[in-house]
Amino acid sequence: MGNTKSHKWNYYILITVLAVGSLLMLFPFVWMLLSAFKSSLEIIKVPPTFFPASPTLEGFKRVLFEAPFFRWLLNSVIVSVTVTFLVLFTSSLAGYVFAKFEFKFKQLIFILILTTMMVPFEVIMIPTYLIVSDMRMLNKLWALIVPSAVSAFGIFLCRQFIEGIPTDLIEAGRIDGCAEMSIFVNIIVPEITPVLSALGIFTFMGSWNNYLWPLIAINDLDKMTVPLALSFFSTQHGGEQNVIMAAATLIMLPVIVVFLLFQRQFIEGLTLTGIK
Amino acid sequence: MINSPSLKYSHNPKNTLKRGQHKFIAASLIPIVSLLIIFALVPIAMGLWLSLYNYNPLNVASPFVGFGNFKEMMTDTIFHKALFNTLIFVLISVPGNIIITLPVALAINAVSGKKLKDTFRTIFFLPTVTPIVAAALIWASIYDPSYGLLNMILSSFGINRIYWLSDPRTAMLSVIVVTLWQDMGYNIVIFLSGLESIPKMFYEAADLDGANRWTVFTKITLPLLSRTTLFIVVMTTISYFQVFTQVQIMTNGGPNYATQTLALSIYQNAFVYSRMGYASAMAVVLMVIILMVSLIQMRLMRNDWEY
Repeated sequence: MGNTKSHKWNYYILITVLAVGSLLMLFPFVWMLLSAFKSSLEIIKVPPTFFPASPTLEGFKRVLFEAPFFRWLLNSVIVSVTVTFLVLFTSSLAGYVFAKFEFKFKQLIFILILTTMMVPFEVIMIPTYLIVSDMRMLNKLWALIVPSAVSAFGIFLCRQFIEGIPTDLIEAGRIDGCAEMSIFVNIIVPEITPVLSALGIFTFMGSWNNYLWPLIAINDLDKMTVPLALSFFSTQHGGEQNVIMAAATLIMLPVIVVFLLFQRQFIEGLTLTGIK
Repeated sequence: MINSPSLKYSHNPKNTLKRGQHKFIAASLIPIVSLLIIFALVPIAMGLWLSLYNYNPLNVASPFVGFGNFKEMMTDTIFHKALFNTLIFVLISVPGNIIITLPVALAINAVSGKKLKDTFRTIFFLPTVTPIVAAALIWASIYDPSYGLLNMILSSFGINRIYWLSDPRTAMLSVIVVTLWQDMGYNIVIFLSGLESIPKMFYEAADLDGANRWTVFTKITLPLLSRTTLFIVVMTTISYFQVFTQVQIMTNGGPNYATQTLALSIYQNAFVYSRMGYASAMAVVLMVIILMVSLIQMRLMRNDWEY
């Protein structure tokens, strides 16, 4: 029975190692919060302090009053929500058509769609910039929405899952005299809600955190989305780490709250779709 | 959208039905496929096309140069550094990621209480939902030579100040640490779901045979996890080849190009120096490298673990 005892000890060691790892993962967040509450004087003290000597909201105030913070937040919300709804709609609709209908060049079109998934963004970002510029969309929120309205991956994912829906269900709808669109809305969409919620979460996160494309497409301060604005803001406030960390805190808060609320969907979605 | 086809239905059911379907296919696919053509297929074709031109949006003429851009890369020392750094970044970060995430996933999987298990998973996943821009800024503050946390801790052990991001010897390593911190959660969660899908009976059988833990790990867990591992390795490699944001924010390629990466070079050439043809050629090189490496990985790992 000495075996069980050593098992027990091994288990304690395992938990301890995981706990230490967890602390290391959380430490940068702690540093961010502590720095955000320091005063502009304390933040440039050498040697630095760990805990703020007299916690102050100075950093937060400066972010909220000296920068169009709510404008940035609003831009991000507008862009991410619109992109998410468009991607969910176009992916499920096209996924349905590719899964359940026969038409000319179907295979060819589908293969072309899959091909676009294998090309890294660096290849298409320059031409997309030129096209968006030709369409007079540069430096407008449209530039962040329209090119992202359709996702090849989303179409592929939805097709995979819609193929598993029995065709009898669709036929039954047709016999009842439903229009094609109402079959899609009332029969197909409810069947694939788990996929759509996963796709929705990751489209939203991807759009919310996107940096490279807004960096290229947006110039004006009041058109910026949150990540771009945060980067711009930090170059303006180089030495003032407390202000930057306050901005980072404010920007991180909504994402972390959303994550903690929808944690189960996040994890299930990730394993369901393998999205990265 | 809801009209009543029942009336027409009585005349010629099949035809009406088919016509309705054709309309539906056309009405839904034409806008979606058009968007894909404009913002995916045309850009891909244009990207390849531009790589053969000396295209600069500020110039009137953009002469055809054939493979000239690719030839220029052969003598461009900054490009060489970017290529080398990107390879180093991938070669350290991808194995580093797997070496940490697989044991962490195994450890979390071995935790018995569901609550405790979920808590650990949440904590390790938390950095992945933070915007990478924010992660880069937090770590830049941790790395700060005078006011940063890291040197503060090291100085209490009597270690002298290290210029993490401005010393060419530590800059790349510092970027890698940020990347791993921010990105590991994904792979931990995917490994965990792979581990959960392994049937318990394999472990019970091994237990009856008196197999030790290492044997169980190498003979059962690892082979049954091979599909998950292949997926993780390929996806992580693809995304790490494109490393951009954390580098652009923390070092902007410096010091002295020690952290210059391909994606950063492409961005700078296209949008800072307006050399869009040359940048497109670099992007094509990056694409070819990514495709080749993924194919090799899939070939190697399939052969290895087929059973």
